Amino acid sequence: MLRLTYLYRNLTRNRLRTGLTLAAVALPIMIYVLSMAVVDGVERFLENSAKQLRLAVTQKASIVNPLPAGHRPKIEALDPTRTRLISVCGLRWIGGKIERDPRPLSTLGVDHDTFAATFPDYRLTPEELDVWARDRRALIAGRATARQFGWKVGDRVTIHPSVPPYIPMEFNIISTAEDAEDPITLICRLDYIEERLKEEGWAQGLVNFFFVKCATKADVDYYTVAIDELFAGSTHETKTQDEKAFMNEFITQQFDLPRNLTILAGVTVFVAVMAAANTMSMNFRDRTSEIATLKSMGFSSRFVFTQIQAESLLLCTIGGLIGALGPYIAFMHTRLGNLTVPLIQHLEISPTVVLEALAISVLIGIIAAVWPSWLAMRMKVVTALRSLE
Amino acid sequence: MNADIELRDVYKVYRKGRIEIPVLEGLNLQITEGEFVAMMGPSGSGKSTLLHLMGGLDVPTAGSVRIGDARLETMNEQELTAWRSRHVGFIFQLYHLVPVLTAAENVELPLLLFHMSASERKERVATALEVVGLADRMDHRPNQLSGGQEQRVAIARAIVTDPDVILADEPTGDLDAKTSLEILNLLNLLNTEFGKTILMVTHDPKAAAHAKRVLHLNKGVLERDEMNGLFEATEASI
Repeated sequence: MLRLTYLYRNLTRNRLRTGLTLAAVALPIMIYVLSMAVVDGVERFLENSAKQLRLAVTQKASIVNPLPAGHRPKIEALDPTRTRLISVCGLRWIGGKIERDPRPLSTLGVDHDTFAATFPDYRLTPEELDVWARDRRALIAGRATARQFGWKVGDRVTIHPSVPPYIPMEFNIISTAEDAEDPITLICRLDYIEERLKEEGWAQGLVNFFFVKCATKADVDYYTVAIDELFAGSTHETKTQDEKAFMNEFITQQFDLPRNLTILAGVTVFVAVMAAANTMSMNFRDRTSEIATLKSMGFSSRFVFTQIQAESLLLCTIGGLIGALGPYIAFMHTRLGNLTVPLIQHLEISPTVVLEALAISVLIGIIAAVWPSWLAMRMKVVTALRSLE
Repeated sequence: MNADIELRDVYKVYRKGRIEIPVLEGLNLQITEGEFVAMMGPSGSGKSTLLHLMGGLDVPTAGSVRIGDARLETMNEQELTAWRSRHVGFIFQLYHLVPVLTAAENVELPLLLFHMSASERKERVATALEVVGLADRMDHRPNQLSGGQEQRVAIARAIVTDPDVILADEPTGDLDAKTSLEILNLLNLLNTEFGKTILMVTHDPKAAAHAKRVLHLNKGVLERDEMNGLFEATEASI
């Protein structure tokens, strides 16, 4: 009991220092947990993309360059039976904002006739599909975006596109896609955009990319090559890849989130090691006489080594618990869990990440105390006592 | 255990880089169990080094140090550590109490090295604190005690394991005259009533006057070894 009392009192000996060290461990662990949750989320997103058996076809030189809408029938012609190549859907990005609101929207115009077949993961009801087919101004609003702006089915909204045709466009919300994997994007009909482009005198018949739905994984592999071969040597050569590879490249090109977050997490954990090591070194320096006295009484070098290691472990584990369980409880058991994050939607903190974070905290504790506990173990009582005289 | 102390041809040389600093030069000494010995001498005369050698905190460069049956120069660090816990109690000039523990907890610390039940430890702590007259300050932390009281706690910590030898390094060096006298009387009590062998390093002739025997060291050699003439007078005043 006295050993535990001694351990506890040592930690509370300098409350400010202990508090600051706890924060210095807890915050990086929190950053680690959140970063890893985002990285996991991106991986989940990519895994989901991989399951969709879809190809993304973009302009070979750059995703920024558009492709002619005329590519679609040529791609479709690769399998007139539609048994292996189920559908082709052109998409054109118009971004947009609503009036007097700075929040950007992600709006895509799509080929309305093939959208449902290409993106069955939107799980539109027959009623919604019926309205989608009849209403040129139909808009499928991502549920998170709809909630963010207070939209509901039946509402009429005006979006100001960020690209041509630039003029305000009115839409009728026909669905909030409650079961879709993507809760953010707004989907409208490409023919409506084309109509407005024509009215305003902008170039028409262009899309940013095509998505091609295939029947099997083998078909995905086959058409990845076949589509690019089809347009090889043309003025609009294509680059075809499966949806996971496309999304991964998109993420990497845009901000390389997983890599940068992993680096960030690594750096912050390193900072935590530095902070904890500094505290343990200061604790050791402040207690030279105490450690020398313990050794003079007959406490072994192993005891003082273990004592300092135990203090560091306890301190860092408490810091780790705060840093790991804090965001876990906040995101998994409070309303904060409703917060949507672009791309990965909901931040899901897995118990595995929490356990990883705790293991890292323990490791921080061990590493931070290596030097001071080694010094304490090697300390000669006589030398220490002389230095205090 | 017999607690006779015998030092034979003890040399101690410290090294600072290539420079060798001789501290003790062929010291021979015998102390009988139950003696109260004061060691005096100018700074650098080797008295603290001698105390550290007799306490197993350091080993001689040459020669032998025997305490009872234990030949300290033959022991490794682990053996010395274990030996210290059972046979020696240290008292330091600056007390060196653990500031986050209470008086009782400080006294209990060395008992953790023994296989002893909590109630037995508690009993021993109470006895030790009673001997030093601090039974009513058990739950006070060092910063709630005066210098003299802190030194009493340090003495209780030194005796709680019932060691054969008590080594005190300037135990009154940081105390005023009145408190010093209280501490010295306490050491006398431990010597006379409990039969503890006490070796005390001091600069203060008044403190040395409380010992039965005074060793005078100078430049690493024993210059004088005399029975204390003042002892009887001091004993009478207690």
